[in-house]
Amino acid sequence: MSSWSAPDPLAALSVRGLSKSYGSFSAVANLDLDIADGSFFGLLGPNGAGKTTLIGSVCNIVRPSAGAITVFGHDHRSREARSLIGLAEQEINVDRFLSVRQMLIYHGGYHGLSRRAARAQADEILTQFRLEAKADLRAYELSGGMQRRLVLARALLHQPKLLILDEPTAGVDVELRAEIWRQMKGLNAAGTTILLTTHYLEEAETLCDEIALLRAGQIVARGSSSSLRARYGASTITELYERALTAGAP
Amino acid sequence: MTTATFQAERPAVVWLLEREVLRFLNIWRYSIIGPVLSTVLFVIVFGNALGRHVDPIDGISYGKFIVPGLVAQTMVNVGFFNGTTSLFEARRDRYINDVFASPLRWWEINAALVGGGIARAVIVALPTVAIAMPLTGGGSVARPGVLLVGTLGLLVVVAQVGVIAGSLAKSLDHVYSMESIILLPLGFVGGVFYSVSTLPRAWDVLSRFDPVFWLVQVERIGFLGHGDTSAGAALLVVWGLAAALTAWSAWIFATGRLKP
Repeated sequence: MSSWSAPDPLAALSVRGLSKSYGSFSAVANLDLDIADGSFFGLLGPNGAGKTTLIGSVCNIVRPSAGAITVFGHDHRSREARSLIGLAEQEINVDRFLSVRQMLIYHGGYHGLSRRAARAQADEILTQFRLEAKADLRAYELSGGMQRRLVLARALLHQPKLLILDEPTAGVDVELRAEIWRQMKGLNAAGTTILLTTHYLEEAETLCDEIALLRAGQIVARGSSSSLRARYGASTITELYERALTAGAP
Repeated sequence: MTTATFQAERPAVVWLLEREVLRFLNIWRYSIIGPVLSTVLFVIVFGNALGRHVDPIDGISYGKFIVPGLVAQTMVNVGFFNGTTSLFEARRDRYINDVFASPLRWWEINAALVGGGIARAVIVALPTVAIAMPLTGGGSVARPGVLLVGTLGLLVVVAQVGVIAGSLAKSLDHVYSMESIILLPLGFVGGVFYSVSTLPRAWDVLSRFDPVFWLVQVERIGFLGHGDTSAGAALLVVWGLAAALTAWSAWIFATGRLKP
């Protein structure tokens, strides 16, 4: 019998007792997390803290060792849950055999769209992300910034209710970062729940209404940026980050 | 909780199968023309040029005798490489994550990958047969039923082997070494160029432990009417292999062993 409580069916994402080990290394250890519908949630932590493992477990990419995960009340392994999630991974993972437009169309198809709907969605999102001039190129022929935009466009193509962004602005220039911020804010304002991991602390503070700090596979602090700064007596987010991750839970 | 159930406007498995076919069509010079050309050259060189100096086997000219085996060998190579490279590259470049994260079910992913390997093997085999048969004197298919059922089994075997190898490979070097260390030797001793009944008894028996031998036999019996074994035995072994490999492949996908 499981030792964790039942996930919250009203939450956009509810994680209970999630553990993942790679041999003797524990990447995530008995982690609980609820993210409310409509929120913009930031997940911060150093490399190896377990952020990508958590995201992979939610998105059916990593096999959890233990725990339960629901997405809007659906088991995360169900087709319903997977159709509700959009994922932009930290690494650029594009299909080298297809053109930019084909890649988007087939992504729509994997999410159940008809050919006509997938084409229409692909054309719309190509315009939205200013990639229409590159539509017939292979993805690997694009610049790094354009590839990043393409990965984001793909994550949004099937209009997910929960958007998961794993370091979406890593390695992008200031202009593109501002553009990504603007789009994320717009999506969240329109009702999309967003889970963001980032190493840019000011990014999390600017965008997220709630953040969690992850260390060694466990959440050590959680709350709004202002409430956490008050709790740790920190004047800046950087100070908060250092104190929370050094001290652990207050 | 959102109560809506997922309903696809077009089956996601059809999209993935289509993607698998598009993948090899986009590299058609390598994936289609190359294997057809090399097999036809084998028929011309071994069957026509050298074959004139070889006695007929069971009353069949040498050129005609080797065509079914060469067709089987071509389907083995193409089916194996399609599944292996498609899945390995998807894993290496991590775009398989886009598929895993989608509503596609494990068996749909497996079926689409296998379907891609089957489609490529058929697309290569048909023109190969169409060119090779007239070059070796034409003729009709002796046992169409055996050829159809046997070829279906062969296609499942080679496509599943490719997918399994693609799921196990850790590097591109692994992929190519599987071909040169396992597939190529098995092909050479599988009776593509000779009848194993002409070998010493011990080699005849050993050949029967080679899966490629049975794949060659279903093609040879189908095309020519007879081989080194009975049609029933050949079909039984090929479909037994197909079932065992499908079970192994399904286990890999169903238990999430492709995922870290």
